[in-house]
Amino acid sequence: MKAPAELPHAYPFRFVETVLEPRDDAFSRGRVLVAVSANGRAAAGEAWQSPLLLAEAIAQSALLLEGGDPEIGRKGFLAGVESFEAMRPPRAGETLEVRVRLAGRFGAIVKFDGEVFCGAEPLARGSVLVREGGSPPPR
Amino acid sequence: MSNQDLAPKVKDLIVRRLKLDIDPSTIQNDAPLFGEGLGLDSIDALELVLGLEQEFGIKVEDEEVGVKAFASVDALCDFIEQKKIA
Repeated sequence: MKAPAELPHAYPFRFVETVLEPRDDAFSRGRVLVAVSANGRAAAGEAWQSPLLLAEAIAQSALLLEGGDPEIGRKGFLAGVESFEAMRPPRAGETLEVRVRLAGRFGAIVKFDGEVFCGAEPLARGSVLVREGGSPPPR
Repeated sequence: MSNQDLAPKVKDLIVRRLKLDIDPSTIQNDAPLFGEGLGLDSIDALELVLGLEQEFGIKVEDEEVGVKAFASVDALCDFIEQKKIA
């Protein structure tokens, strides 16, 4: 299944490509394929410099899988990163797999646990907080 | 279990899950957790929801219920007690 247009992100900040395994009803799992660009920016060492962008990839994967309602994908955004651990940044030309699981939700704030793999090698794991909706969270 | 017995456990949950740098016993039972008082926000609320589920086996069904339950330590203790009875 190719990634549909639910996400607002575009190159060079779109990190998800193909949905490998759609979420189940309870969102106990879902997998998304990420092809790391081997274009000019990546070749020049300018892309994916921060492993924290893997957290953004987890968030984009979560929003994509949360999908179904395009409004959510278009309006959701990364609101926080927790317990994030990156083993190494991805390299140009690699194909990554992002595995995402819903951890919980309260109101507009949704927490997802995610892992990023390159083949069998784990590249990063952690949790992301995503806010569904267009406005900043109320204090 | 009375609120008196439950309150220390709830305070410990709040401090631990939210990584607050305070002594749990300094949290007043009737002080508001959000806004004034501890100054928690909506992201903290989600962490408390997960903490209640994982450590007390209690689900918070929706935001409306959660907002009332998270009003104070006393309110949270009452909520836990009600859920245990139900």
